[in-house]
Amino acid sequence: MAKEMIAMILAGGQGSRLYALTQKLAKPAVPFGGKYRIIDFPLSNCVNSGIDTVGILTQYQPLVLNEYIGNGQPWDLDRLHGGVHVLPPYQQATGSDWYKGTANAIYQNISFIDRYDPQYVIILSGDQICKQDYSDFLRFHKEKNAEFSVAVMEVPWSEAPRFGLMVTDEDDRINEFQEKPKNPKSNLASMGIYIFNWDVLKAYLIADEADPNSENDFGKNVIPSLLRDNRRMYAYHFNGYWKDVGTITSLWQANMEVLDPSHSGINLFDENWKIYSRNSGRPCQHIGADADIVNSMVTEGCKVNGTVNNSILFPGVVVEKGATVDSAVVMGGTVIKAGSKVSHCIVAENVMIEEGATVGAMPEGGLDIANPGDVATVGSGVRIGKGATVGPKAMVSNDVKDGEEQW
Amino acid sequence: MVNSNANALGVIFANSYDNLVPELVAERTMASIPFGGRYRLIDFVLSNMANSGIDNISVIVRKNYHSLMDHLGSGREWDLTRKRGGLNIVPPFAERSIKMYSGRVDALASILSWLEDQKERYVILSDCCVAMNMNYGDLINKHVESGADVTMVYTRAEIPEGARNDNYTIRINDGRVTELLSNDYRPGVQNLSTNVYIIERESLIQLVRDAAVRGLVYFERDILARNLNLLNVQAYEYTGYAARIADMKSYFDENLRLLEEDNVDQLFSADNPIYTKIRDDNPTRYLEGSKVKNSLLADGCVIEGVVENSVLFRGCRVKKGAVVRNCVLMQDTVVENDTSVEYVVTDKNVHITAAKKLSGTESFPVFVAKNHTV
Repeated sequence: MAKEMIAMILAGGQGSRLYALTQKLAKPAVPFGGKYRIIDFPLSNCVNSGIDTVGILTQYQPLVLNEYIGNGQPWDLDRLHGGVHVLPPYQQATGSDWYKGTANAIYQNISFIDRYDPQYVIILSGDQICKQDYSDFLRFHKEKNAEFSVAVMEVPWSEAPRFGLMVTDEDDRINEFQEKPKNPKSNLASMGIYIFNWDVLKAYLIADEADPNSENDFGKNVIPSLLRDNRRMYAYHFNGYWKDVGTITSLWQANMEVLDPSHSGINLFDENWKIYSRNSGRPCQHIGADADIVNSMVTEGCKVNGTVNNSILFPGVVVEKGATVDSAVVMGGTVIKAGSKVSHCIVAENVMIEEGATVGAMPEGGLDIANPGDVATVGSGVRIGKGATVGPKAMVSNDVKDGEEQW
Repeated sequence: MVNSNANALGVIFANSYDNLVPELVAERTMASIPFGGRYRLIDFVLSNMANSGIDNISVIVRKNYHSLMDHLGSGREWDLTRKRGGLNIVPPFAERSIKMYSGRVDALASILSWLEDQKERYVILSDCCVAMNMNYGDLINKHVESGADVTMVYTRAEIPEGARNDNYTIRINDGRVTELLSNDYRPGVQNLSTNVYIIERESLIQLVRDAAVRGLVYFERDILARNLNLLNVQAYEYTGYAARIADMKSYFDENLRLLEEDNVDQLFSADNPIYTKIRDDNPTRYLEGSKVKNSLLADGCVIEGVVENSVLFRGCRVKKGAVVRNCVLMQDTVVENDTSVEYVVTDKNVHITAAKKLSGTESFPVFVAKNHTV
């Protein structure tokens, strides 16, 4: 049974710039928005767009991600034919290789894709926060009779040199691609989301693999080759919310933006485009008699008896009486004990913040999500000792002893 | 065979004691009454069984079971989607009896052939009106060790007002039940049956077949109580947290009792989690103006007003200037701007319009039926 389009999600990235958060898990498995992980976004977009076959390409610290995806049931991707498959690199008769680049990762899974005999393949990135209807993207691709389409966002001209840019004609046909140019000719930035005709992609992947000088990367090698051959390449304009959460600052920002959907444009509360996730299975959140919670998101299993402002608490977070949490992203299972102060920071899972400890600090000029300045970070499983201080610039991945300061 | 599965199967009666809470079962079964913010009563017994390695379960339903079927689906949330065993929902068999099941014996008679075909040695029978967190492993072991014919689970509790005409209490001598009283009305703490029983499958089949022939209806009154000399019926005390739903008042009280942290921790112990149908709500949002104290909230709520001493189910909305005190709001209840509700129980999808005042009293909470607009 052939599929019209299947999705391949590139989820192999280490996310080295998230350092303390990605020591034990791959970037797509990083928790986001109170009860989600980053990978929930492309997966939910897929099912909401009608795509029922998804390959997830992993290689860095895949344990948490593997377990999280499981049989795909939370996303309705436990299917008889298709469904979600985690695809790590594997050994073949001719030898084995890690995924050398994005294109090579797909190349190594040609036989997986061929099983479904799809007309189109959509390549997605596992580390972006974005709600997008891929079926509309496919409609565009078909209307243009394209062989390759890329989703692009208009970015301010001043920021254009940081992106891979698509230069197009008035019909959105791409005639030039500039990778992080000094003098941009376009402000249409590639989102790293592509639709290919599978026969075309397959031919180019095979050719690219045969080229010893290639870095086997879509942006650096495959797209330039397509351009050289004058293939039918089009740019699809996307106007919604899109964020690459590759840094601590952008991850924190994206979380804060979830709290303010009317301004930020990321609306997780849309009944018609639900983001699905694996449920923690915990009881209701318990709000104590001394709690004070404003402009925040709290989820199942939390116990709050302190002050929470402008913050996101993940499943099972405990905020004791007299503790304050301000502008913070606090991941699952973390305990914030009495009298401690947690502000302007990301605290990973299962952290113990003991009595009277201070983590992060509000910036002097007050909260400014667009220009946040320093965001303190505490890695998972860390204990912050009694009365200890974690400064606003700190990134902590080891225990901090009682009374100690870390800047 | 790895010893992770219990040698017992489960039989759950979804409609027993429906008559105690007519308001709540107008469109559902006792088993599917929402409880504790995001659960239904059947979740407790199903999760207990699943956590105890019991994965072959029949749920016997009598009427109004659409909501229950919708809730249970294929049993996936309780890990009961199995090739062997799993979850089995048994509606009345129309051809066989025009009359509905009137007692447990009737109900069990309808699944006799199924019971005969199973392999498990023991059967655990349970209602849904008592929410407990109990691992049945110990019960099974005690039952086997004692060599009892039947072991019944009881709690030390006062007989709830609403259950005056629907309860069983027991007198115990050295672990053995010597007397089984129906509809006890004595004040003070009694040995109150939870209607959870364990019995050998073969003997259950014999007892039910025999009783059905003689036109007997009630398992406790007609079978157990009459034969306490013959049958070795052992008592097993459950000492953990139990919420017994006996009328609207106790429904209200038992929800609010969960506001005590200790009670929540006991009923939803991490070692024995309680599973339920997942709705994929987003986390609850506390917006500008929210003031929430001493309350239990499920996901998907949006709070802009005051909430105190209340239990809010999934997807409730408390708008600006609204005040919710001492209430149980079932899922998707909306309390509009500047409205105050106190001592109110709302069923699902209730809409309380702006600038209203609705209040009951502690002894008599107001109930608003499903889908109503006030």
